[in-house]
Amino acid sequence: MTYSTNPLRLMLALGRQRPWYFALTAVLWAVVHGLPVLFGLAMRGLFDALAGPQAAGPNAWTYLALGLSVDAVRLVVMIGGIYTWATWWLELTLHLRRSLLSYLLEASGSRRLPDSPSEAVTRFRDDANDIGEYFEYWCDFWGFAAFGVAALGTMLLINPLMTLLACVPLALTVVLTSLLRPHIRTARRRSREATSRVTDFLGETFGSVQAVKASGREPFVLRHYVGLNTVRKRTALKDTLLTELFRSVTDNMVNIATGIILLLGASALKDGSFTVGDLALFVTFLPRLTGVMSFMGLMVVQHKRSGVAFERLGRLLVDAPVSAIVTPRAYDLENPQAPFEHAVKEVEPFERLDVVGLTAHHAGGLTGVTDVSFSVARGEFVVVTGRIGSGKTTLLRALLGLLPVEAGTVSWNGRHVDDPASFFVPPRSAYTSQVPRLFSDTLRENVLLGSGLSDVEVAAALELAVLDADLASMRSGLDTEVGTRGVKLSGGQVQRAAAARMLLRRAQLLVFDDISSALDVETERRLWDGLFAAGETTCLVVSHRRAALERADRVILLEGGRVAAQGTLAEVLASSPELAALLKGERSPDAGRVAAL
Amino acid sequence: MTASTATTERERRRGAFGLSTILVRYLAPQRGWALGMALLLLVATGLQLLVPQLLRRFIDGALGAAPGAELTRIALTFLVAALLTQLLNAVATYVAAAVGWTATNLLREDLAAHTLDLDMGFHNARTSGEMIERLDGDVTSLSNFLSVFSVRVFGGALLLAGILVALWLENRLMGAVLTGVVLLEVVVLSRTRRAGVPATNLEREANAKLFGFIEERLHGLDDLRGNGAGAYTMHRFDGVMRNVYHDTRRAWMLRSVVWLSSYGLMLVGTALTIGTAIYLVGKGSLTVGAAYMVFQYLLMLQNPIEQITQQLQELQKAGAGVQRVGELLSLVPALPRGGSERLPAGALSVEFDGVSFHYPDVGPDQLTLDDVTFKLAPGTRLGLLGRTGSGKTTLTRLLFRLYDPSSGRVRLGGVDAAAADLQGLRSRVGLVSQEVQLFRGSLRHNLSFFDDGVSDDRIMAVLDELDMREWLERQENGLDTEIDSGGRNLSAGEAQLIAFARVFLADPGLIVLDEPSSRLDPATERRLEAAMERLLAGRTAIVIAHRLETVERVDEILVMEGGRVAEHGSRDLLARDQHSRYARLRRAALSLDLNATPDEHALEELA
Repeated sequence: MTYSTNPLRLMLALGRQRPWYFALTAVLWAVVHGLPVLFGLAMRGLFDALAGPQAAGPNAWTYLALGLSVDAVRLVVMIGGIYTWATWWLELTLHLRRSLLSYLLEASGSRRLPDSPSEAVTRFRDDANDIGEYFEYWCDFWGFAAFGVAALGTMLLINPLMTLLACVPLALTVVLTSLLRPHIRTARRRSREATSRVTDFLGETFGSVQAVKASGREPFVLRHYVGLNTVRKRTALKDTLLTELFRSVTDNMVNIATGIILLLGASALKDGSFTVGDLALFVTFLPRLTGVMSFMGLMVVQHKRSGVAFERLGRLLVDAPVSAIVTPRAYDLENPQAPFEHAVKEVEPFERLDVVGLTAHHAGGLTGVTDVSFSVARGEFVVVTGRIGSGKTTLLRALLGLLPVEAGTVSWNGRHVDDPASFFVPPRSAYTSQVPRLFSDTLRENVLLGSGLSDVEVAAALELAVLDADLASMRSGLDTEVGTRGVKLSGGQVQRAAAARMLLRRAQLLVFDDISSALDVETERRLWDGLFAAGETTCLVVSHRRAALERADRVILLEGGRVAAQGTLAEVLASSPELAALLKGERSPDAGRVAAL
Repeated sequence: MTASTATTERERRRGAFGLSTILVRYLAPQRGWALGMALLLLVATGLQLLVPQLLRRFIDGALGAAPGAELTRIALTFLVAALLTQLLNAVATYVAAAVGWTATNLLREDLAAHTLDLDMGFHNARTSGEMIERLDGDVTSLSNFLSVFSVRVFGGALLLAGILVALWLENRLMGAVLTGVVLLEVVVLSRTRRAGVPATNLEREANAKLFGFIEERLHGLDDLRGNGAGAYTMHRFDGVMRNVYHDTRRAWMLRSVVWLSSYGLMLVGTALTIGTAIYLVGKGSLTVGAAYMVFQYLLMLQNPIEQITQQLQELQKAGAGVQRVGELLSLVPALPRGGSERLPAGALSVEFDGVSFHYPDVGPDQLTLDDVTFKLAPGTRLGLLGRTGSGKTTLTRLLFRLYDPSSGRVRLGGVDAAAADLQGLRSRVGLVSQEVQLFRGSLRHNLSFFDDGVSDDRIMAVLDELDMREWLERQENGLDTEIDSGGRNLSAGEAQLIAFARVFLADPGLIVLDEPSSRLDPATERRLEAAMERLLAGRTAIVIAHRLETVERVDEILVMEGGRVAEHGSRDLLARDQHSRYARLRRAALSLDLNATPDEHALEELA
């Protein structure tokens, strides 16, 4: 896959996030990295003063004072540099994560994670960090570059031959390390992948810890975990080995360069063309110069690494270019957050929804719907039914824009809907998925989702969703914490809380995907009764329950992803043995059997 | 926060797990390697100390009357010593990394085993993102620390000591001054060292919350998008993000205090050392070469001290991590380990004897189960009815001993559940629930639930029995087909079938069916019925039903109301008794299905 993931270009776009603050940080660090040039010069003067006749010029003490004040300034600048860098880096990485999440939640078009949510979290964490680190390199770059130029210039002025010869091993460093780098990159990628396998597995295990425990499968799960960890250790050690090799090369070259200076300097020192001070300066500058060189090398590595990071983030965006998440945004993180203001959108009253020739498939390609057409008019109760895998859920998700549509049109009040994903939201429609999720928060927050309605209105919705009795038994009432993904509630309670959440959207069209699966017969009856009593509501419902089918103004029977029959229940029953067969299985208490008792 | 406080109160502490305890326990098995690494470092340090001595002889020789050949020899010796130092250091680093990974992998495994062992009260209070951070993030910071810290800090300390000895030998005043400088650093740094830990804890906590938040929202992406909750979710994210911003920056600044103070001290050290050297050279008691050597040693000092202080930051991170690893390890499951009694083979009898139960996070006044007593003979099928929240699911949780009763006894096959071997008990009780747990991995692993002892033949036999052979053949790679995380490439029905096969393979003596067919359409449900009959044959079964039709084939009915047994008896008898709750429920359901007026009286009774 090729995305436009030139890190430099993306970085330039990202760098527009508070550019002056970044520039200030870079200036501070340029001072920090550049000042050692002056320190080296001071040391040179100091040793020359010590070795020479002490009469003329500034003496050793003066040079010492100069060196020390340079270092003191450096210290102060560094404190400022750390603060501004922390501020900028945090804003940047958080901005990346925010943009990504906001894109997944709010952008047009359908969104589906390419991997598990745990895997996606790894990307939110590590890849954003990688990109942040790349900026760190750009922040340090200017100072290191300045130091490199100044140090080399000074050394050339002192002794060009020695400087050039000492630079040979340093240049060799660059060659050797650039040979090593691709291997390091591969090793790092493998190690990263092995890590994501481990964290993925941890996430899944603890996400379904009750099932693991209830079946006593801990030993087997652990054995699998051990296996994944072993692979991770192997890949990580390979990474370490290559990195150490890299470090050895760079460090050793300094020593070789120093050795060369000593070999060449022996005679020069004797004839006075090279002084002890010069030696001190060379030996002080050489490790820093190598540092600069390996910094440049590592910067290239980080450049590529951030390219990988951008690419992986791009995979989360599926169809959008990565540039979608690098647009700058103004933050005010220093001051307390302003309260959320719920924006109520005015829309024209719903009249009818027309679906024509809708075709959509899941990424796997197994289940899907083909050429489905139907209509829902205001106030109608329309039920989609059919066997497992007949495409009921797929149909709803495609209609709402949660799945990409391959063919067909959807129109609202006769007008074509271009982007269902951003169109089918409150106040037009609201949705309860087949397996609804709640979030670690209070029940109130979960059902309100920011729509600043009063507790009276919440209570009404909860009553409508038949959660009122449950609520009464909860000690903290609406302030009850529902736990991770709502685990503290029973399956039926989660489902009904999700229904309440949907009802509070005040939407014109309610879309239920199999709400009844976790409800008992009586609870379901109360739900439908309440909903009808509450006034004119339009519902599109997936169900195979008699209770829902018999209320339906129209039943749409799906078979193998296509509409097999459509009409009133009686019409569909008459034309389709399929539905009759479906319902026969459900006919509760078997009359014959009751009679036999 | 309140939930985790409650957890901590409930779970007794089991001794302290500090850094040293953890280091000893996990590093001891690798003493050999650790010793080898120490030797390597010792030699490398010796060579490193030699280098400035060579430079001094070189300078004094060059300024004096040494012959050129002598100088060349010194330069060559310098080269060899320097190269060897590097090589040995690299090898030591690799060995340290290997030791670190081996040790922390053991810790990871123990930690995972321990955490899995903790009760559900603990797990329900935590997101899986948070668990990843605890079990992996914290240990990884320890792993970095072990692999790098040992080399840098141990090697650095050796070097430091060597430099001081060399300087004392050279000139006592010089030695005394530098010793003073190093002592000052040690005192100041050990004071500032702890400064960052609380802030680092806050930083980690805030980050764990951030990623927990993200993970939950990614799981609920459809719910949020379909309900237009994007803007609100982002508003909440901004709040979480703000915490990360402030806590992290604070942590960084506090941690950098250590580093900056070391730098400031180095400045003082340079002033004192070089000042002394200038003074001694002026007095004629130090040669220029020796002064240069002192300067070199001073530069060399900077490295280990920087390394040590930098690693002290790592130590702070690792310390905070280990502190939380220790906290985790010292948690004792609220659920006692259980005894060693084994459950009998074959179908299990079930007995609840005066069982009352309330969840750990609420008081005893909120009983979920209230004096529940009933008995099931082996091989009986029980239908469990009751409104949502009447205690049906809780009752079955006690069967798996996910919780212990607050009072009373649960017996399986005549054995008190609390006295039975926990693993053995759970492997004899099978669960098919509404929510099917699937893992990223092969279909085989998902069917055998990671038990590699299950042969393919057995899996195939079970799939045959469930009529899934044809389905399997449609899969790309048979049993090696990769299942996406959470089984997203499967339909709810397929997932349910896999859950069925999983229980089949486990061959339990008691099966709990928690309305498993709720997401299946009636046709698929019927397809499963024959297979279900075979699964239940010769086993005891408890069927939780939200729909009456689910319990048409059971032997006995138990109706729960507000945590109490409202009715229990043979299904046939209860169905015949006009006044039984079950009979009224059936009438209500019938009338509801036929869309006629429901039996108000019966429904009121139930409500």
